[in-house]
Amino acid sequence: MRPFVRSSGPVAPVALLLAAIVAWLSTTAAQQPERGTKQIVSDISAPGIDRGLRDADFPRFAPRSSDRRWISGGGAEYLRDSLIVRFKPGTQTAAQRALLAQVDGTAAPALSYADFDIVTLGSGEDPAAVARRLSEQPDVEYAQARYRARPMFVPTDPLYTLQWNYPQIDLERGWDINRGGSADVTVAILDTGVAFRGGTFRYNAIAFPGPNGAQYPALGPVDIPFAVAPDLGASRFVSPRDFIWDDNLPFDLAGHGTHVAGTIGQLSSNGMSGTGIAFNVKLMPVKVVDTEWDFIFNSPFIGTDDTVARGIRYAVDNGAKVLNMSLGRDGAPAPVVRAAIEYAVSHGAFVAVAGGNEGDGSNATERYAEFAPQIDGMVAVAATGRDRRRASYSTIASYLEIAAPGGDFLRGGATGGILQQTLDLDRVETFTLPPSRYTAPRFDLFADYYFEGTSMATAHVSGLAALLMSQGLTNPAAIEAILEQSATDLGAAGRDDEYGHGLINARAALRGMGIAR
Amino acid sequence: MKALVRDIAVAAMVCGTLALTAPEAQAQSRTPAGRPAPEPAIRVRGFGEFGGRTFTASQSFEAVLGSKSGVIFGAGAEVLAGRNLFVSFGVSKFQEDGERVVVANGEAFPIGIATTISVVPIEVSAGWRFTGPRRTVIPYLGGGVSWHKYKETSEFATADEDVQFTKPGFQLLGGAEWRASRWLGIAGEAAWMMVPNAFEGGRTSAAAAFEEDDLGGAVFRVKVVVGR
Repeated sequence: MRPFVRSSGPVAPVALLLAAIVAWLSTTAAQQPERGTKQIVSDISAPGIDRGLRDADFPRFAPRSSDRRWISGGGAEYLRDSLIVRFKPGTQTAAQRALLAQVDGTAAPALSYADFDIVTLGSGEDPAAVARRLSEQPDVEYAQARYRARPMFVPTDPLYTLQWNYPQIDLERGWDINRGGSADVTVAILDTGVAFRGGTFRYNAIAFPGPNGAQYPALGPVDIPFAVAPDLGASRFVSPRDFIWDDNLPFDLAGHGTHVAGTIGQLSSNGMSGTGIAFNVKLMPVKVVDTEWDFIFNSPFIGTDDTVARGIRYAVDNGAKVLNMSLGRDGAPAPVVRAAIEYAVSHGAFVAVAGGNEGDGSNATERYAEFAPQIDGMVAVAATGRDRRRASYSTIASYLEIAAPGGDFLRGGATGGILQQTLDLDRVETFTLPPSRYTAPRFDLFADYYFEGTSMATAHVSGLAALLMSQGLTNPAAIEAILEQSATDLGAAGRDDEYGHGLINARAALRGMGIAR
Repeated sequence: MKALVRDIAVAAMVCGTLALTAPEAQAQSRTPAGRPAPEPAIRVRGFGEFGGRTFTASQSFEAVLGSKSGVIFGAGAEVLAGRNLFVSFGVSKFQEDGERVVVANGEAFPIGIATTISVVPIEVSAGWRFTGPRRTVIPYLGGGVSWHKYKETSEFATADEDVQFTKPGFQLLGGAEWRASRWLGIAGEAAWMMVPNAFEGGRTSAAAAFEEDDLGGAVFRVKVVVGR
């Protein structure tokens, strides 16, 4: 099984190389006589360092209120008893007064930084109607009601403006309803692990052959530094579990799981990096996928169907209400995973599974996603690009139920992916360097990367599901229903094999249904 | 609530005005001997009403409001032409608070967003009163057209997300009026309203989820009639 991700920039060219290394290593796996261990050297570490952009602004949440001072009209609200009037230059004061008297209006004392007047109405008449009448007067340059400016919640994170994916699903207005979810909802990230804690751990790095016949030396015992991803926050994590190393230290040794966790729940408006969707929920890292360093460190287990199934059951039994599965495989069906997902849904957990990245290739059936239509409370997720079209790689299949932003470098360029904080891959993927420059990795440095994939799309769905859970919607089938019913239909009318029921719409989903709308 | 009070106040004023004008007309028609004159050909009466309304779109209303029925208040006027024919004009109001929902597999799940639904039908009906000598209880039957103003507002909604529309419908009604005195009557009335295609459009709605589109339903009300 594999995580469903592609990355941009310097990472993209090495993707094939990584795949080759994994394949190469896999062929030699059976030759390793003993499995590796990781020993704790130091339980403390310096805080993780984010090499991305920084800013130092504080969050300023938009206040909301609703009272009878306001009149609703034209899609906005305006004050009931006053309006704005700008008289044309040269209009005599007496003429102004005469005009205002016609509408029972009185000009308020002049305001600073204002070249207009605030006129109080004594008649109780609709200010918008009065404004229309006044605007027709020759001495009036303009008149308008005092419409209320109500800022949507827009995170102040310095890289937020690069996260095109959130406005695409109307999440800013969604946050007006539910700002980041609540801490009583836990999202399990079944993935490559997450940068969830710090410390220094001793691994034993074995030798391995490179893809071009080069031999990479055994580094032997190496002390590897870890840190919690700064924009995830150390207090967010509950019940971590590693099924690759069979312990409670599900370190991310590749960056995929941390990136996915970032979309789901990266902290918001803290002056760092970008933001996630459900930035108040708890995160449960469950490592069920092994990657290159797991192999080089000689992990005792690898990520197979049974590992995934155990991870699902573990997450549910330990309180996760949303399970994010940005992973999958093709080949033969996976009944053990299906049974585990059915177990999860029957125990009140919603499951989002990546729909597959084979749309521009084999378009093979993703075995972890294919049974989504038969399980209410589980969805298979397709990916869209910045242009709201199906991402070029997103698998086309009858089992797809929903689409979400996954990024598309092909049409969107280097910034067309999904931007989140994750491990600094320059310090992680040292095995892609020539053997002479090959060194031990570091997992305490971070940066912000654009990734693409149905992995990223799936994380959007999980984040939104976590917001819905936080709002009291605890039935997985109901979450699936509102995600699908509120989706923005794309492609062929109705459900189709490219977008499922359409692109998720956070605002519409979080509003739920009235009788008529 | 403020709007409801305002509506009732307006209706009460209409009733009061009608009630005051009717006796005056009657007084002018009395004979010098003091015997009651024959009833005038045209009589105008006012009424206030209260009762209950249950909706045809029962699953949708039950999902959002917790009940498919609720209380109504209203007022109106009616014109009696001769002894049997009547034409009535009435307005009533139904308003309830509830919670927006998600509907899955025919089941509704509340989502924690408060909503208020109001329905204000304006009815014009005509019918026949089955009068008879010395009869103090007068049954009647009728029918007519109506316009139903529907409004749905909710927490967090912008103005364009709230719903407001008026749909035409029609109704059949029947009841009986008991004359408590010369100037006061009390009527019990049942009506069946049909407002087809009221909820058409929009797939994210309880009405769409339950495939219900009729805003009509049954009305049971008591009318207090002022006038002869």
